[in-house]
Formats: sequence, structure tokens, C-alpha cells
Amino acid sequence: MNHFTLASKNLLRRPVRTLLTIAGVSLAVAVAVSLGGFNLGYRQALDRSIDRLGFQLMIMAKGCPYEAATMMLKGGTGLLYLPSETYENVKSDEAILSITPIFVGIASKEGSSIRDDAGATSFSIISGIDTESFMTMKPWLRFKAGTGYDGGRWFAKDSTNEVVLGFEAAEYEQRKVGDTFYSTITPNGQTDSKMHEFKITGILDRTGTQDDGTVFMPLKNAQHLFNRNQELTIIGIKLKKFNAIELREFEGRWLKIPEVQVVSLQQVKGTLVSLVGTAQVMIAAVAIIAVVVAVIGVVNTILMSVYERTGEIGVMKAIGAYRSDIFKLIWMETLAVCVTGGLVGCLLAVVGASVVEAAIRSLINLGVQGSIVRITPLLVGGALGVSVLLGFFAGLYPAWRAASMRPIKAIREGE
Amino acid sequence: MKPIVAILSVLLLLSTEVRAAIGCTLSNPAQDLKYLFPEMTTYKEEARQFDKLGNGAEQFKKLPARLGSKLDPVYETYETPYTVYSVFKGTNLIGVVHGVNEAGKGGVIQVFIATTPDTGVIKTVFFQRLESPAAKALKSKEFRAQFSGLALGDFYKHDYFVVAEPTSDKDKVGRIAAPAVGDAGQQDYQATLRGIRKNLVLLDLFVFGLRYDAHYVRSQELLETLTAK
Repeated sequence: MNHFTLASKNLLRRPVRTLLTIAGVSLAVAVAVSLGGFNLGYRQALDRSIDRLGFQLMIMAKGCPYEAATMMLKGGTGLLYLPSETYENVKSDEAILSITPIFVGIASKEGSSIRDDAGATSFSIISGIDTESFMTMKPWLRFKAGTGYDGGRWFAKDSTNEVVLGFEAAEYEQRKVGDTFYSTITPNGQTDSKMHEFKITGILDRTGTQDDGTVFMPLKNAQHLFNRNQELTIIGIKLKKFNAIELREFEGRWLKIPEVQVVSLQQVKGTLVSLVGTAQVMIAAVAIIAVVVAVIGVVNTILMSVYERTGEIGVMKAIGAYRSDIFKLIWMETLAVCVTGGLVGCLLAVVGASVVEAAIRSLINLGVQGSIVRITPLLVGGALGVSVLLGFFAGLYPAWRAASMRPIKAIREGE
Repeated sequence: MKPIVAILSVLLLLSTEVRAAIGCTLSNPAQDLKYLFPEMTTYKEEARQFDKLGNGAEQFKKLPARLGSKLDPVYETYETPYTVYSVFKGTNLIGVVHGVNEAGKGGVIQVFIATTPDTGVIKTVFFQRLESPAAKALKSKEFRAQFSGLALGDFYKHDYFVVAEPTSDKDKVGRIAAPAVGDAGQQDYQATLRGIRKNLVLLDLFVFGLRYDAHYVRSQELLETLTAK
């Protein structure tokens, strides 16, 4: 009988105690892996969302820049507008590589409730764009192909009844290319909303960004329908050279306009990461405490098992077992508990990733699209490695204690 | 070592993102169901999918015939998820609620039905989403009340009556008066009718163990006899 088999049999003598110890390690590992997955997933989702906006800078009406940028990432209704002439002024700046004007409006969804007395409970984001400059910013946008989607194209620049739908907007409304699309818009300064009928000219492929949930129409038409003919929501900008000095100089030139602000998406990203980072540090502290408690639990369980088997260890030594044999045996038991706990914990974290993601999203709106918990093979491998390492160290003291017992004394104490 | 390798393989395979299809669920089930069943004390929400049923493929194949229309190849697929809400008063099941997405003229229509717990007879029809020029007419209590008391069997019988006896008083579905929706609302009216029937067909399969399938078979037999004559 080798050490591994003997260690397994010893653990199975007290199955409930062994299972509870493994459960403690599993939970600690699951929490640690989930946190690692969130850390990784959130940063990637944020990078993806910001990169896929296509702009380095945004000029928008004065207000909270982070709120405005978050709105760009996740959508929202608290919109501020700036005069269209700002775009005319800014576009001649020599530092600009490309620039695009965007008008965003919110259309309510009529009849979105089962109660007769309730108002609309959902809305759609309407984005008025200049397709030429918009596509320069976002060259990766493609029209979806396949059954129901073939023949997608952008609307004509002066069209008043054509729209293009983002992937999720189309899926949410179950629309295809050529279908009709209703949108109910309340023009600025008016109280009554009006339902408009559009023809869908194309449906965009999934991008994993806010664009997926957006309904696009020509800039002029959107401004007209919302009765904001001389207003824009955002001016998206890419600079020829993008660094801190260029950015400061650009800001200096345009912040002189009283009603606008220049927002760098890198700054927004840094702020969002640091905001979430604070919460992540707190959760990491809890995860570390959980791991430490689990390790103490393992040491306690194995020590208890050693004390219970004092007589047995004495007999083993009396009949010829070396110190190294006893040491290996106890050490292997600790390793087995930690490795099993690590495996189960990783499995729990992977299987429960969607639950963790849903829980985080229900608690806080992080303002990013796509998966925010990303458990990679590397993360799982790392967690298993740490489990082995913890088992390695947690087993040292109980194993040394058992190996150091004197046979006669141990047999006497064990009687 | 083998179990460890197996667990590791499962872990690595599972470490990828999973995408879900779009179904039709209540936005605020607790509030909405309480509104429909004021005496409700608790409810149960269960997901149903053809691809998870034992004989799902066979039932999915039969679906267009039972619906009386083709399925949308994009939004009515074999993998489309459905949600059944069972409503309880204490431990007593007092109702079943189910909803479907229907492609309306200008957007999706989400039409739900609340039925009796044992026979699948409609108690209430309501819309969760409906953006249409005909929304007011379709959402009117008078129009929706016409469906109360109907069961899937009545729709299957309607298939026969509409061919054999178009003016028959026995055709409960045929007696439903179309609301004044005008030309612009016709498509949404037809989508509503199809949605209500789809709800009944799916509930019959998911909850009532094909209780009304005999009605379907009988109506088809009669129609075949008629055609043969």
C-alpha cells in the first residue's frame, strides 16, 4: 500500500469532517477565483467598450463628464445638448484626424406594460449620425448577413423614413431587413408624443457595445424629429497625435467655449477602474481572510486527526516506519484536502460565473457591455497552483508533529 | 489521477462565454402576477425549451400545423426559450401564465395569457409590449374580454368551422369581433390572434400534457373528409 492510498483511507475514516474541511477550502477558492474573474473580465469589458466607441475624445455639453461618458457606454436618459455650431468651429482644428457629430435622443416604447394605468416602462436610444464620418471612427461596423438580414445598407443621408438597427435592438424588436419599425418620439418643447414609421435598411452585426442597442438614423432627421434642429449631443474626435501634451493643448483651445467640456475617454476609464478598484480591494481582503480561515481549518483538522491516531503512529514507527514515511503520509493527507478543495472551488466558480455576474449587475451598474466575469484557464490553473502551495505549507506542522513522535510514548498515549 | 484530469478538462471547457436566446418573460413577475391574481401568495417560474423535451424534435415539427402558420426561421427556433409561471394561493395552484413574442408590423408584440390551472381555459389576455397604431383598440378591455373562456380546443374547432360552416354559432373563435384597427393595425391584430393561439399550443404541450391534441386530430380528420368529398 503506497502513501497516497493510505492517506486517502485515513481521510475517508472521518468522511463528514473531511468533507466539511474540503467545503471550507472550496468556498474560499471559489470566492478568490470569482473575484479574479471579475477583475479580469471587468477591465477587459471596459477596454473593449471604450475602444469600440471609436473616439479618443468627446466634446459635450457641460455636466458631469463621467456620468456623460457612462451614459455613452451603457445608455441613459439624462441627456444634455450643445449647439451645432460648436461642431462647425471645432472641425477646423488642425490637430484633429477625424471628427463626427452625434445626436442622441430617447424614444419611449408605447404600451410597454401589462397594467392599463401604467406608463411606458422602456425606451429605445435613437442616434442621429453622419454615416461617412461615423464609419471613419468605427470602421469595424458590419451589416449582419444571413436569413432575414441580407442586403443591409446605410440609410440615404437625407432620408426621413429609414433606420439601421443595432444587433440587440433588432433582436429585442424581432426585426429584419426590410421590416417596418415604429418609434414614439416626444419633440422638445411639446407634450404629445408622435409615433413614426420607418423602414429598416440594415441590421448591424454584434459589436459588444452600446451600438448594439441603438437605432441609427440620419443626423438631420433625428434632430428634426426631436425638435432640436441646431443641437448635438456629442462630438466624437480622434487626434492625429494622442498624448497628454496634445490633449492639454486641445482642451486649452476649446474649453474657452463656456457651454462645452472636453472629455478624454482614457481619463474616464482610469476613474471607473479606480472606483471599482476600491470595491475590488475590499472584496479581495474578504477573499484572503476566507483563504486564511480555510487553511487554519485544514491545519486544525489534520492536527486533530494526528492526535486521534497517536497510538497508531507509534505502532507504525515501532514496526519500522521511518520518520519520512509518517511525514509524507500526513503531508499527503493535507495536500489531498487542499487540492480537492481547490478543484471543487474552481468548478464552483466556473459554473457559478453567470450567477456572480448577474448578482454584480443587479447590485451595481458598471456601465460596460459584455461579460464582466471572465474565468480563464490561466486563472483556474493559478488557483489550483495556490491550493497546492497552501496544502504544501499547511501540512508542514502536522506532518512534523506526527513524524517527531517517540514510538513508546505515542503507543502509551494512544491507549 | 483520471478524475482530476476529467475535472480539469470540464473546467477548461466551461471557461468560455455562453450566449442565450431571447425569450418572453414578465418584466416584474411578482407585481404583474399579483395584479392578475390578487389572491396570489406565491409563484413559480419555470423555463421550457423544445430542445430540452424528451420528444422535443417531434413536437417542434408538429408546431406549425397546430399553429396554422409557418414558424419564423430566425425568432421561432428549436432553441427559443419559453417561461411558464405557475401561480399559487397557499399550496393551491390557482392559475398559469405564459407569454410569447410575436413579430408585429412595427416591432415585437409580447402577448400573455392567464389560464385556469387544470383545463387551460383563458381567464385573461394582456399585452406587455405593443407599439402599434392599433394599440388602443387591441388593448381595450372589450376586445381582450372576448378571449375569456376560450380554450385551445376552440381554436382547433375553428380551423374546421372556418372551412365547413363559416357562419356557425358554435365557432367561438369565429365570433370574436375584430377591433377597429384600420389597415395600419391589421397585421398587429393578426399577430395578436396568432400569439394567443401560440400561447395555448405551447401551454398544452408544456403544462397540460397535450390535453387538446384529440381536438386537433378530430378537426383535421373532418377537414380531410370534406376535402375528399
